[in-house]
Amino acid sequence: MADTAQISAHGGTQPARGRGLFGLLLVAIPVLLVGWLIIYPILAAIVSTLLVDTPEGATFSTASYRFFFSDGYSLANLSLTLWTTAVCAVLLLVCGLPIALYLRFSTSRFAAYVQGLAIFPMFVPSIILSYALIRTIGPNGTVDLLLNAAGLPKLPSPYLTPWGPVIGLVWDNLPLTVLMLTAGLGAISSSAVEAARDVGAGPIRVFVHIILPRMGNSMLVTISFAVLGIFSSFTLPYVLGPASPEMMGPFMMRTFNDLADPLNAKTQAVVSFGICLFFGLFYVWSIARNQGSRSR
Amino acid sequence: MAVSPRVLAPEGAFETESETTMAKLTIEHLRKSFGATAAVDDFSLDVDDGELVCLLGPSGSGKSTILRMIGGFEHPTSGTLRIDGQDVTRLPPERRPTGMMFQSHALWSHMNVFNNIAFGLKLRRLARAEIRRKVEEALELVGLAGYGNRQTFQLSGGQQQRVALARSLVLEPKILLLDEPFASLDQHLRERLREEVREIQQRLGITTLFVTHGQDEALAMADRIVVLRNGQCEQVDAPDIVYRQPQTEFVAGFIGSMNFLRATVEGGRFRHGDLSIALDVADGPAVLAIRPEDLGLAPAEGETGATVLRSTDFGSHIMVDLESEGGVRVKAMTSPALRFDKGSRAKLAPTLYGVYRDNRLIASGRLPASPGECKINRSVQTA
Repeated sequence: MADTAQISAHGGTQPARGRGLFGLLLVAIPVLLVGWLIIYPILAAIVSTLLVDTPEGATFSTASYRFFFSDGYSLANLSLTLWTTAVCAVLLLVCGLPIALYLRFSTSRFAAYVQGLAIFPMFVPSIILSYALIRTIGPNGTVDLLLNAAGLPKLPSPYLTPWGPVIGLVWDNLPLTVLMLTAGLGAISSSAVEAARDVGAGPIRVFVHIILPRMGNSMLVTISFAVLGIFSSFTLPYVLGPASPEMMGPFMMRTFNDLADPLNAKTQAVVSFGICLFFGLFYVWSIARNQGSRSR
Repeated sequence: MAVSPRVLAPEGAFETESETTMAKLTIEHLRKSFGATAAVDDFSLDVDDGELVCLLGPSGSGKSTILRMIGGFEHPTSGTLRIDGQDVTRLPPERRPTGMMFQSHALWSHMNVFNNIAFGLKLRRLARAEIRRKVEEALELVGLAGYGNRQTFQLSGGQQQRVALARSLVLEPKILLLDEPFASLDQHLRERLREEVREIQQRLGITTLFVTHGQDEALAMADRIVVLRNGQCEQVDAPDIVYRQPQTEFVAGFIGSMNFLRATVEGGRFRHGDLSIALDVADGPAVLAIRPEDLGLAPAEGETGATVLRSTDFGSHIMVDLESEGGVRVKAMTSPALRFDKGSRAKLAPTLYGVYRDNRLIASGRLPASPGECKINRSVQTA
């Protein structure tokens, strides 16, 4: 006990410079790992797409980027990826927000079961989900069987269309979206909502005027996260998506493996990274702004 | 501010039949259960127009639940709530002619002070100039004129509570509900704000229900105090009556400081140590309750009387802690002229007392200032 007191007293009187050094040491390992495993490969990839080996030696060239942005197939793949990401982000918000609102404000015991159900997809591997969806909404899947049993015509299957990955990605990303939105809603006190109702606001006006403006930041963070995850997804677009055009994940893999073209694969990766970086910076900006408003 | 306790009802909301400003609240057999637990049990109360009633009780006594049911934030399990005779029991909060001030201010941090107050008026689609006029009047009423453009986080705790009060008052509710609004403020600010709120309430003549667990707040502000315990009403009376004639042992102990001496009444006489009082009550166990200011002390001779444990000089009076001959610790408030040293003996000489049995007041009396036998002045029928 006495030792502890002495140590804490010593720590308390440690010079500020020493404490700062200790703090830097604590973050040094993760920072070095990020530098080694993330920053360095990114820089190496960017450099290797711009410095091309020729018989005369390495020369600066933007040929691979010019090819990417002039190739119709590459651009179609990029636009499909952007379309899938945008549709998924909107659908995730549309599906996740009502669930998060219910979980935040419901006092029912049923809410716990809804939460469990909403979080469940997080524990299902993408590959299992993909095959489950094929068996459910694919040709001659459960939906077709039920429609057939009811004497109804089959519906066009979203399997192998752009909507296939959309359904899978929304299902897969819903738990994280719900969790993040619920956390954002947690910052809105019940009394703030009750005060709005007290002055005459019905549920819709409470949502529009009180809840929505105060969870804008958490929605931005949620969208940033969802976009980053969806843009770089591979399994669900690979298994459920169309063969052509295809999303950037499968496109990169096929360019690298099947076409044995690492330069173009890296170029696709750098372009994907550039787009994701925009959302990454957006996320960092949201977090910084949020912390700034908290410290006020 | 030219506001009157009359609601500016949104479309389809509660509307008054007449243009009078009468706002009487009637609560009949209100009950609220959470599972098997009754938070409020058969609570009835009439609050007259312009009256300020304090709901007072310890934590878990159901006072906030009652207020929330009046505001529409909790649905009663059974019972009826009427405002000016109109049943509002099943109306949602936004359609009730009530205004609530929350313990945590509940200001909307994404709006400035003006917009916080104007929000309810905007919902009612009032003209912009009318909204501005009303908001400025409300701000002036709570002493925050010129603060409209401030952000809420730029205000102190007391200023935030004033904004919350202005937000409630600007809609001219029939009933103002205050849910421990000063709980998060320091003592000095609390005292100042409660005076201001009382003054505004009296100026507007608005019917008000105030929830608090601070008895000083209740005694200072209320026209009537409702003392609650375990969801049930223990006593409803004016503050001085609640303080001087508590009807139950719980109220006697909860309001102010009280000495309780327990003994058995035998042959119409209550005996505790050398204290002996004739009581016109049936024999049996009884509790004698005496406030410190009603417990006189006289120097005792020899080894009889209560032992002085400590004397604390508060300037205007001295608080003497004693241990009675029955081994009970009691407090007596004496004049600075009369001093008792630690370890000395003193005779207990109550001047005003109540007698309780089974939590009910069964007798009360007044004794002459000097110790000795005395006849009972008044006896009370048990409930």
